[in-house]
Amino acid sequence: MFHGRECPHCKNMMPLVDKLERETGIKLEKLEVWHNEKNADLMRSYREIIFPVCGGQLRTPTFLNTENNEVICGEVEYRKLKEWATK
Amino acid sequence: MKKFWRCFVCNDIHYGVKPPEICPTCMAKNAYLEITSEEARKVSSITQTEINKERFLQTIENFAEKNEFQVNPDKEKVLMLIDGVFNNEQNQGLKYCPCRLTTKDFVEDLKLVCPCNFLIHETYKDKKDGECWCGLFVRKKDG
Repeated sequence: MFHGRECPHCKNMMPLVDKLERETGIKLEKLEVWHNEKNADLMRSYREIIFPVCGGQLRTPTFLNTENNEVICGEVEYRKLKEWATK
Repeated sequence: MKKFWRCFVCNDIHYGVKPPEICPTCMAKNAYLEITSEEARKVSSITQTEINKERFLQTIENFAEKNEFQVNPDKEKVLMLIDGVFNNEQNQGLKYCPCRLTTKDFVEDLKLVCPCNFLIHETYKDKKDGECWCGLFVRKKDG
């Protein structure tokens, strides 16, 4: 999960991510991109995968599963987040 | 394609397809020269004026007043976003949106400077409850 410290969408998604982790045992790597250049460059390195799904931009939050390249971005319902995580 | 233009009389910087015929700052006629993005950046950093968070909020409220959108009534969200915009300016040089990461292409990333042109974005355009990606601006109820 790529997120920004001052991004309200990211803040809103955090309780859902916690719930997901508790319910499924899946752990998401949470990478802050505006205050950590290494994380920012990592997100940029996935631009070809992220852009088509996220309006041609590196939007936060972006949830990327590096095993199957499934991406969702922005605030989504818990059901959709779980669907993405368990695909 | 948009380019940078500089008024050779007063150093006013314009970013657009073509330069203004009359400089809005010094009123000189046909005074704009095309410049590189690097020169624009240098000139703007010399002439940069300090603007604090309160003034920025006032500026965007004034900007929104005459338009079909408004600053989000959720004050907590707005303050968080403005913190992000200012942190990005301090760390990255411009008031980038806190909800979209820069690509490291300076000209491309100008689209991320707040306020951005969200009127054409899918999160706003043709949407009754449209808002910019980060939610700083939302469509007025009667807008």
